[in-house]
Amino acid sequence: MLQRYWFGDVDEQGCRAAGTDPAALAGRAATLRTGMESYVPIDWEIARDCGVVRTRAEYVDLLRSVCTTLAREKIARSYQARDVELLQMVRMLDELDNVINLLQERAAEWYQVTNPSFSRKYRSLPARKMLDLIRRGARGGLLDVSGEIERLTGTRSRLMREVSARADEVLPNTSALIGGLVAARLLSRAGGLSALARMPGSTIQVLGSERALFSHLRGGTPPPKHGIIFQHRRVHNAPREVRGRVARVLAAKLAIAARLDYYRGEAVPEFLNAAQARIDEAGVTA
Amino acid sequence: MIRLGNVLVSPGEGGVYGERTLDGYRVWDPYRSKLAALYTLGGGLDLTPGMRVLYLGAANGTTVSHVADYVETVYAVEFAPRPMQDLLEVARRRKNIVPIMADANRPEEYAPFMEAVDLVYQDVAQPNQVEIAEQNLAFLKPGGHLILMLKTRSVDVRRDPEEVFAEARAGLEQHLDVVDVRWLEPYHHDHAAIVCVRRGSLY
Repeated sequence: MLQRYWFGDVDEQGCRAAGTDPAALAGRAATLRTGMESYVPIDWEIARDCGVVRTRAEYVDLLRSVCTTLAREKIARSYQARDVELLQMVRMLDELDNVINLLQERAAEWYQVTNPSFSRKYRSLPARKMLDLIRRGARGGLLDVSGEIERLTGTRSRLMREVSARADEVLPNTSALIGGLVAARLLSRAGGLSALARMPGSTIQVLGSERALFSHLRGGTPPPKHGIIFQHRRVHNAPREVRGRVARVLAAKLAIAARLDYYRGEAVPEFLNAAQARIDEAGVTA
Repeated sequence: MIRLGNVLVSPGEGGVYGERTLDGYRVWDPYRSKLAALYTLGGGLDLTPGMRVLYLGAANGTTVSHVADYVETVYAVEFAPRPMQDLLEVARRRKNIVPIMADANRPEEYAPFMEAVDLVYQDVAQPNQVEIAEQNLAFLKPGGHLILMLKTRSVDVRRDPEEVFAEARAGLEQHLDVVDVRWLEPYHHDHAAIVCVRRGSLY
């Protein structure tokens, strides 16, 4: 029975070595197809008798370089996928949001103690205006920090536009239904486009609400209606009594959209029109 | 296994992941490594210098590096690219690790590189952990051992860990004899170590 190993082919007639160049061996090994029914593990001494190596140490050494070469190629290939960098971009964006919020809160607290007559009550002071106020009135460390917050906020806006644009390209159908940013967040939570494309709508519906979901599965609490997709206006603007239905219908269409994105990679207008109509319909109260 | 006082250690070049050293030995922390927890709890099967090991779910290569300190050759299988980058670095400095990037669900992918091993160690977060173990028995010598770190939460979070364990054990017993079972409390929660022997005499 023929056995095809990384160092050569072995059968009743003997052994045909495939050389000793690691790159060539790796290239050959990548093409081998093994059936496990008739498989016999390697006896390294065959490789020695075959003239590939002289000692056990040489055998392990050559095998290591072949496997390392193969692994490096596979890693490089997996990072080439278009969604891999988008994943990092959207995670960085969410991290920036966190950091900016924390710094803003702290800067406001600091500003308040330097200005005893100041209060936010009865004033419309969103974070952005508050920051302008601080920059005018502060000195020293507080001024430096508020300058940094300003810069980070600029970085965040630019990154957000980049994320949206990249999502439109990588996830054309999903982005058309739910917006580039939310689409990118779904991708990030799923761990990649191939994972998202394999998810059922019911999973997409609750992505991002894992805590509520598992607390429900363990027993007792009501199930979550929506996770990340709540961030889309169609879900959070929907009247309370139909919000669950909108989330469910939207998630079902997103599951189809993700598969189109993965397998076709381009927007499909017929699908999008029908899906938009169906989602709008779900938002109509009786 | 080498113990200094009560501390489990392994011999070898340190500094792999910032581990402490003690009298020139690397401390093997039971809170970080499930295999170390098994040995610390008095279970497991001693690693010996002549052993060849198939390690499924090698991750970043921290536990792999300790195993490699004890045995002759470790075939380390890992699927995800990020941890694989770290594993390659560990394998570059430890000459007895063969790093294989493949899915433990698909043994045919790495069969062309494998010889028969004395021990299969499996620590993968997959729902079909028992099935993966069965598929990899093709590489285990008769009389060789399987150590399966059963992550009951990966099989099914909704079910009682004891129940998941009982089912896994029954599955394994179709092909193997279970010789030792330990829950890894207090080091790791809801993890059971199952040590099995493949039927048939050695050699």
